[in-house]
Amino acid sequence: MAIVVGINLAIALRLIGWVPQFHLSPFNRFYQIHWFGAIVVLLSGIGLLLAYPAKALTNPVFYLKFAALSIGLLIAAWLQKQIQSNRLTNFAPAKIKAIAALSIVLWILAITAGRFLAYTNSVLLASRFF
Amino acid sequence: MNSPWGWPTAESIHFLGLCVLIGTVGVFDLRMLGFGQGISYEDLHKLVKFGVGGYLLNVTTGIMFLTTAPDQYIYNPAFQTKMLFMLIAGINMLWFYATTSNQVKGTDAALAVSSRAKIIALVSLISWSVIIVCGRLITYFRPPYHWCLWC
Repeated sequence: MAIVVGINLAIALRLIGWVPQFHLSPFNRFYQIHWFGAIVVLLSGIGLLLAYPAKALTNPVFYLKFAALSIGLLIAAWLQKQIQSNRLTNFAPAKIKAIAALSIVLWILAITAGRFLAYTNSVLLASRFF
Repeated sequence: MNSPWGWPTAESIHFLGLCVLIGTVGVFDLRMLGFGQGISYEDLHKLVKFGVGGYLLNVTTGIMFLTTAPDQYIYNPAFQTKMLFMLIAGINMLWFYATTSNQVKGTDAALAVSSRAKIIALVSLISWSVIIVCGRLITYFRPPYHWCLWC
């Protein structure tokens, strides 16, 4: 989680312009680490889901988390492609900043929704209640 | 903190702080270890101040957790290990800024840093990873079932 969200935050901060404009093209290596982190997150998430499926799937907060996470990862993949093919300059700077800000908001939403999952579920297992 | 939403909110802020910390300090450590050649050290270091902000958020929420339920923390071996590694990370950081930081700032983006800087970066990355893992394990080593192992 820290790897995925952290690297996305670092890139978003750079794109918004709160830090000096260092070259983004060598960031590919960090993206490799990012996707490794994303795979770990997805595998461990599947593991957690298999342990308590009813607890997660009957909780609307889980769907919110999953939506925020998916869109966040899609934005990360899109940004990576634009950076790799040097197409960032094709877009208006304001649009790139808006996408970076959206990315930050989505990750904050994903983390908060994920944390609140443990406190908002209504059933523990499908066969019995709390 | 004893309200229904107080603890989860503080935890969420704690997680965000750690993500910012790893995304900035962790990325800078990885850069020193050689990932992402071509990125300027000095420019990448400008991200670290956000990491300090994230760290301060974590210290604040951490103190909130600790003062709300101190017995659950100070007798908790996972928490004790976490504090030990925070000490290690802190000393490592002080050592970096006292000795190697100016040399790293002056290094050109295409070159590698000294082995001392790489060791500092590696210790930093490992300590913060252990800190995160121990933080997660706190809830599974709650006293009195796992009373202080070395007391």
